[in-house]
Amino acid sequence: MDAWLRPTSLADALAALAAGPRVILAGGTDLYPSHVARPLPGPILDITALPDLRRIEAHPGYWRIPCLATWSDVIGADLPALFDGLRAAARQVGGVQVQNAGTVIGNLCNASPAADGIPNLLALDATVELASRAGTRHLGVADFVQGNRRTARRPDELAVALRIPRPAGPALGVFEKLGARRYLVISITMVAVVAEFDPAGRIRRARVAVGACGPRALRLPGLEAALAGRRPEPDLVTPDLAPLAPIDDVRASAGYRLQATEELLRRALGALGTSRARAA
Amino acid sequence: MPQVTLTVNGKRHTVAVEGRTLLVEVLREKLGLTGTHIGCDTSQCGACVVHVNGDSVKSCTMLALQAEGAEVTTIEGLAKPDGTLHPMQEMFREHHALQCGYCTPGMVMSAIDLVAKHPEGLTEREIREGLDGNLCRCTGYHNIVKAVAAAWPLMHQKAMPQAAE
Ligand code: FES
Ligand code: FES
Repeated sequence: MDAWLRPTSLADALAALAAGPRVILAGGTDLYPSHVARPLPGPILDITALPDLRRIEAHPGYWRIPCLATWSDVIGADLPALFDGLRAAARQVGGVQVQNAGTVIGNLCNASPAADGIPNLLALDATVELASRAGTRHLGVADFVQGNRRTARRPDELAVALRIPRPAGPALGVFEKLGARRYLVISITMVAVVAEFDPAGRIRRARVAVGACGPRALRLPGLEAALAGRRPEPDLVTPDLAPLAPIDDVRASAGYRLQATEELLRRALGALGTSRARAA
Repeated sequence: MPQVTLTVNGKRHTVAVEGRTLLVEVLREKLGLTGTHIGCDTSQCGACVVHVNGDSVKSCTMLALQAEGAEVTTIEGLAKPDGTLHPMQEMFREHHALQCGYCTPGMVMSAIDLVAKHPEGLTEREIREGLDGNLCRCTGYHNIVKAVAAAWPLMHQKAMPQAAE
């Protein structure tokens, strides 16, 4: 098997994956730093030469973020306030050079518990489009990410795009994260919220997701239910953090993570209130 | 061994590389362009920043084979053949934006991309945030920020718009 393939058509890429498992490489911002001075983890499928998989596009019922769209592409795309949280995450992933190289789908497929993109994708209710020679299937991000660096992608599949459904009414996303410093750091905890509003400015429905507090980012259905019908403000509800299972590690203790998460949730609800006028 | 063909500072090169060879290794070791530095090797310091197809990237975090067909510009490709410096280099000199110089090539490459991508102007804060992928152990950044602000009017050949100040 060729140690390195860089196909120029999706059909060739899927044929290569059908022939045997490969490490899929896009921006390389996770792959390389985790293998410094060591051999690469297996035969590579470099997807960066695939055509037409870079532009973020608006479709009637959804937006599509293809697998070569970088964080810089998210920052530069003409996207509504629904994407404010994902945009904020994009601006905080590494520095500009990492944003220029790293892809949103790469961040998802790498499935680090501390991936900044994943809580936002959960809050956006995103689905993953998985293509293989056997056909295409769509999986919700919550089903796709199965654990610490584990996803539901079969070895013969390529995650070709994300779909983000259009909400029924005005919607707004926010993202709050805590790290030991502001930039170039792995998050201690993070919170992403997407709220849809009714004409009176009350939350019609909210999706709230927390990252870095367990093997994978999770939504908080109890809190989401409690927010429905209310106007956003910081001290609206005492969040039910029961689903979270943070660990003690070099970055923070589990107790600190939970306490910080509660504070970030308060800030996110406050930001929803103050930025509500942006929702459209 | 696989081969990669890329254009560096306007010159085409074909080099044989291993799958795991980094772009920075090709530039420094195969092409002798040692102006691109390696500070950390883990995507943090920015000493290795070059332009690939017009975007600034960290060449320690890009595998060489991914640069197939790419146009790469390194610090050596900035000055004119007669030695006239790029305005950003000139302003780094003018404002004493370097001490040991280790970070400087990467800093200059990042700064050029930043200024080029912001034709609407840049605030001091935007300059500082735009350079947050580049670490400098010497200068305290202050003169670097001044140099970048001073290079903006030279690169865009007009005064920096008021609104952005
Ligand atoms: S050597 Fe590339 S970022 Fe430090
Ligand atoms: S001038 Fe010494 S590291 Fe920046």
